[in-house]
Amino acid sequence: MVEQLLNALTLAGLLFLVSAGLSLVFGILRVVNFAHGVFYMLGAYLGFTTVALSGAFWPALVAVPLVVGTLGALIESSTLRFIYRRPPIYQLLLTFGLALILEEGVRILYGPTAKGIDPPAYLEGAVRLGSLQYPRYRLFVVALGLVVAAAVWLFLRRTRAGLVIRAVAQNSEMADCLGADVARVRTLVFGAACALAGLGGVAAAPMTTAYLGMGIGVIVDAFVVVVIGGLGSIGGSMAGSLIVGAAQTWGAFYLPETAMVIMYAVMGAILIFRPWGLFGEPE
Amino acid sequence: MSPARALAAAALAALALAPWVAARYQLSLLTDLLIYGLFALSLDLIMGYTGMVSFGHAAYFGLGAYASALVLIHFAQPVPVALLAGALLAGAVALPIGWFSTRATGIYFAMLTLAFAQLLYTVAYKWRDLTGGSDGIAGVPKTELYWGGPSLASPHAFYFLVAACVVLSLGLCRVIVRSPFGRALEAIRENERRFTSLGRDPRPFKLVVFVIAAVFAGLAGALFAPFRGFASPEVMFWVFSGQGLMMVIMGGIGTLVGPILGAMVFILIQEVLSSYTEHWMIFTGAVFVLMVIFLPGGLVGTARRLRARA
Amino acid sequence: MRRRDFLTMAAVGGLGAGLGVPAFLRRAAAATPIKIGMPAALSGGYAQYGIQAKRAAELFAKDITAKGGVLGRPVEFLYEDTAGDPATAVRKAQKLVEKDGVKFLTGIALSSEALAVSAKCPEWKVIFMSTINGAGSLTAKAWNRYFFRVNTSGPMGARAISLYLAEGPMKRFFALGSDYAWGRDSVASFTTQITAAKKEIVGTDYPPVGTKDFASYIAKIRQSRADGVYLALPGQDATIYLKQAHQFGLNQEVKPIMEILELENMKAVGDAMVGAIGSSRYPFTVDTPRNRDFVKRFHALHGLYPDMFDGETYEGLEWLAQVIQKAGTDDVEKVIDTWEDSSYEGLEGPFFMRKCDHQAVQLGFAVEAVKDPKYPHPVPKILATYPGEKVTPKCRSEDFS
Repeated sequence: MVEQLLNALTLAGLLFLVSAGLSLVFGILRVVNFAHGVFYMLGAYLGFTTVALSGAFWPALVAVPLVVGTLGALIESSTLRFIYRRPPIYQLLLTFGLALILEEGVRILYGPTAKGIDPPAYLEGAVRLGSLQYPRYRLFVVALGLVVAAAVWLFLRRTRAGLVIRAVAQNSEMADCLGADVARVRTLVFGAACALAGLGGVAAAPMTTAYLGMGIGVIVDAFVVVVIGGLGSIGGSMAGSLIVGAAQTWGAFYLPETAMVIMYAVMGAILIFRPWGLFGEPE
Repeated sequence: MSPARALAAAALAALALAPWVAARYQLSLLTDLLIYGLFALSLDLIMGYTGMVSFGHAAYFGLGAYASALVLIHFAQPVPVALLAGALLAGAVALPIGWFSTRATGIYFAMLTLAFAQLLYTVAYKWRDLTGGSDGIAGVPKTELYWGGPSLASPHAFYFLVAACVVLSLGLCRVIVRSPFGRALEAIRENERRFTSLGRDPRPFKLVVFVIAAVFAGLAGALFAPFRGFASPEVMFWVFSGQGLMMVIMGGIGTLVGPILGAMVFILIQEVLSSYTEHWMIFTGAVFVLMVIFLPGGLVGTARRLRARA
Repeated sequence: MRRRDFLTMAAVGGLGAGLGVPAFLRRAAAATPIKIGMPAALSGGYAQYGIQAKRAAELFAKDITAKGGVLGRPVEFLYEDTAGDPATAVRKAQKLVEKDGVKFLTGIALSSEALAVSAKCPEWKVIFMSTINGAGSLTAKAWNRYFFRVNTSGPMGARAISLYLAEGPMKRFFALGSDYAWGRDSVASFTTQITAAKKEIVGTDYPPVGTKDFASYIAKIRQSRADGVYLALPGQDATIYLKQAHQFGLNQEVKPIMEILELENMKAVGDAMVGAIGSSRYPFTVDTPRNRDFVKRFHALHGLYPDMFDGETYEGLEWLAQVIQKAGTDDVEKVIDTWEDSSYEGLEGPFFMRKCDHQAVQLGFAVEAVKDPKYPHPVPKILATYPGEKVTPKCRSEDFS
């Protein structure tokens, strides 16, 4: 059982890294970012390149989120920024189109074969926990998820910048009147969200390799997490990640064929009866 | 005759003459484009006129395709029977799904339609005995127009069936949106809160249009199955719904005829580009992104705006 | 056409007509190429398979041009991208047939695409040669006269590895098949055959296609105390499983047995999968002079070693060319008649095209992934070779007994 718990936490950690950004972008920009999964994939591939160039894993954890975040910010300021005033369908579809471009771009750069990374030597192998052998790298992912969750939460709750961001989320017009640079906030938040997704990709790559289509694979999971937790809430993303991670882990063990169906049913139920999720706020 | 009427007449004439003017491949491509056009048209009803963005519309296309395939293979009925089966199944499933989904609005509605559609996709994928599972159902025949009637196997004949269905559907949709019911839909799209404050409940309207849209999507799917000869889960996948949304935007949201054109343009771009390069997805994505930013009215919307200015 | 050519041709034509031999016409016929259409998945999740078919075709095009074509005519390949979607596949195939006039279709990657296209071939009257598709039903329930399968089918692959395991020391097996047609059919086929060999299946699971985390399944497999785990997972899923099983240290305890052991996995997973065994439809390490030459030329052109579908597609194209040559024409009906009951000396061994269901009877291979310093990634070492009769199912069926 301890093994299953750790499996669930590992999965939750990865899911949190991907879905936190998605949730933030929705909460603050009111945009459903369909390209979010592609930034995750980009992170994995860039991680592969960084490891190949530098010979070590740690540079990837630092450099890749910065690169992916910058790319995200650039994209936001050159495309999304111009269509915020339009009905939401346009932003949604814009991100859909961006996803197509980015996915194909990755394919051109890297080709169709999956790229594997090995965890760094001190994270290889397994740790003895009683009678259980558990991979060290997975424990690292759990730790990473917790650290990032704490960092994001502290940033939003305890720093001035976080205050400004939350103000823009609540009422962007008012925040604008009070002197906040709303456009800049949006760009930064979008960039940060992409950076988190990129970090998720780097963290996932040693476990799943970097492969085309990993973005599409993860985006639906991320939507489920964000819906359950509440669009726009970091605490919600944490809770949602834990719930979905646990459901997928134990679901795969006991009911692998119906686990997905149950997930969709839960998602549907929440959207019908409590659309703002467990931790979100009704609009 | 006003320019719009002249254009419509010319288009109808072109459609009628196509089998004699177009080469064999061009005719089958046109048939294909019309089927996708019908799918996009059905999406415009809920998206353009009622303001409901559905990410699950492909599910109804798929349901229509599967119903049609099963009727044609197992019961060897004339094609119109299969079309009816497809449209009815799509509508029947849309009723409960729509009832639940219309309780939500905006992005929540979109997510809900996505969840339901993925549920249906999973069922189609796994219920191998009925749907053939991931392999789908192949070998769907084109049967006859009516019992003992002429066969629809020839490309000419089937083309006319598809063209007739699309033209009739377009006509029906125009009647719907110009009726008082249609006006109510537009009022809901413009400002749902005000609609409610006037003492009217938007939900029945949304549900009815949701089901109607599903019926037309089911019809498109029911035409797809005998035309392509198969039905498979891919036509129910949410990515196809997303492509439908792209077709509507490209053609012109809320114009009915625009989405039909949008579907054609969308597929044609892919067809032409993919023959030249493996990386056609980048160009398609780029074209789409540019259109979203600079031409939000789509082809028809922009054309109308330019004409109004001239 | 330039004026000088036209005058020459007119003169020759006039002379020829006078001699009763329409040389002009003969030269025109000699120039029209034999067209082979390849609606392959060149983008999307299954691109690596379509790309293999294209690579093989590129090498074959080079080889056949050097030989002067087939029947004195050049061979022209027309590639289209289906993105792994059956609706697109049928559309592209129809385009190749109706617009470009191809008479032969091949290179289709997915079984769902293959089933849809194959069903249309009697209407189009073109030959569909499968070099990749494994679905058993293509030569059974869904068979039609215009379909030919040159490659080892899924049931045949499962058979080869089952024969190997039946003679081996492992007794307890867990079966993990992706939850779709191929995964389920392979597990069913394996279960039937391994229990007939008096071995035990201690657990079965069907993870959804696209599973990213196999940790729970790994835990279950470990608990079951199986000797080996039979994996019917598509390319990327198999890669992920092997990597994660290695991280959990499972591969040492429970041997991975793969229905398809391909280079794509070995390149992505690397040394972590050394020791895995399985079935290979075409292992490039087959030691025949023909194959060694092929591998050398393939590597010279593409800079990498041929994977399963590279080899099978090349063999299919070579055989098709030989059949067209023997038939003396590219007329579809005559090619079908000539191909039935014919033999071909392939890269990996002899092939025989069965008349009853157009399945090519061929050798089956059980292989193991081993490290070899000559290559940058693990390679398949052949453990056992089975003659075609032992691994090919009964006519138009997926059963063996």
